[in-house]
Amino acid sequence: MTPQPAPLTTHAEPVMGTVFSFTAVHGDLPPDAVRAALAAACRILHHCDALFSTWDPASPVSRFRRGEAALGQMPPEFPEVLRECRAAQQASGGWFDPWAMPGGFDPTGLVKGWATERALAVLRGAGLAGALINGGGDVAVFGSPADGHRWRVGIRHPWRADALACVIEVGQGPVTEERSGGSGGSPPRVSTGLEPSGPGPWGPGACPRGGGVPSRASIAAVATSGPYERGAHLINPATGRPASRAASATVTGPSLALADALATGVAVGGDAALAVVSGLDGYAAYLIRPDGSETDTGGIAFAR
Amino acid sequence: MRRAGWYLITGAVAGFAGVLGLHIGGTAAPAALGQPVRGETGTPPALAGGSAPGTTPPATPAGATGPARSAAGAVEPYGYGQLSVTVTVRGDRIVAVSVPVLRTVDPYSQQLAQQVIPMLRSEVLAAHSAQIHGVSGATYTSEAYAQSIQSALDKLHSR
Repeated sequence: MTPQPAPLTTHAEPVMGTVFSFTAVHGDLPPDAVRAALAAACRILHHCDALFSTWDPASPVSRFRRGEAALGQMPPEFPEVLRECRAAQQASGGWFDPWAMPGGFDPTGLVKGWATERALAVLRGAGLAGALINGGGDVAVFGSPADGHRWRVGIRHPWRADALACVIEVGQGPVTEERSGGSGGSPPRVSTGLEPSGPGPWGPGACPRGGGVPSRASIAAVATSGPYERGAHLINPATGRPASRAASATVTGPSLALADALATGVAVGGDAALAVVSGLDGYAAYLIRPDGSETDTGGIAFAR
Repeated sequence: MRRAGWYLITGAVAGFAGVLGLHIGGTAAPAALGQPVRGETGTPPALAGGSAPGTTPPATPAGATGPARSAAGAVEPYGYGQLSVTVTVRGDRIVAVSVPVLRTVDPYSQQLAQQVIPMLRSEVLAAHSAQIHGVSGATYTSEAYAQSIQSALDKLHSR
């Protein structure tokens, strides 16, 4: 029969208007500690939802959007999210711009990935051997699903909910294959300012991440955006109007907050935004155009 | 080892998801793929002889043993019309997917569906053999989650 699978626990948590799916690889952690870690990770998500829900008119972000509260009156997470938004706006070449959204500042395109990272940090800090969190389609992992294996993440087919366009491998472990991208001769890569080793745009050490958040180098993220689930929610920052030049846009990299924002940018900007991602150190993008043709930046481990 | 021998397939998507779970249930560690799963989204598929509803030639994947059994899903709306999918399982493997009911709202959708459905068959089979831990996609609502492959994966491991 099949080899004994590594003990793992899955959990699905409705939050932020979607469902977050957890896969926790126990390692040496006892089951009750795994459950406690999952519960703590879910509390983080609900806390972030309460702070940043633009659907709740009483949330802090809604009051901030209406100009009823200044930044100084906001919870401590706000300055951090604002810095992440500014960095993502710059890294995306302006294709992601929370300040250009109708109705005022809207960090929604980044907050879900950012919150997922915080939840994943809780699981890692608890001592799990590995974990995957899927935040409604945006995935972050650390560790390994089983010894010697990488996490395998399917990319949903943009026109069929029950099919995959491809499967990519992320996380630690051997790379089985890396498909070369269409862009011959990689342009020089630039720092995103979000790597733990690089100087951040706000200066090293100036961004406290409470709760023992680990370095992002050990986290791998896969974010996908497209118009197929919720219609015309993608906004061109240059016009403030709905726009989409992609059927599906996927971005991988060490930060899900930035990958989430960049995927939104590539979904809006198509090939032009893909070219911006190709210049970001540690990040890669995969684009399915509205006509069904595909391209990518290279650097994504497509599984055979 | 507990294994559900048969799933009552109540809808096209739910039907696929259930059988997907049936296959992946054997192991937590992914094995090598038996066939490429990369989508042929860039290449228009050949028309299926002008008759979209029909049955795919049965694939013969390894592990497909025992009597073949089929179940027809309910007729489901899919955005441009209605369709029903029948899944045939041999052992714990999908060996055929057919579309006995296809109604579209206009001729153009019918034409598109005739192009798409042969591709859908092949990719349902491909996704079935792709052992995955999660699915990345545009953010789904709580309602859409219930119909997603990720939902099937979650149910699989929580059993």
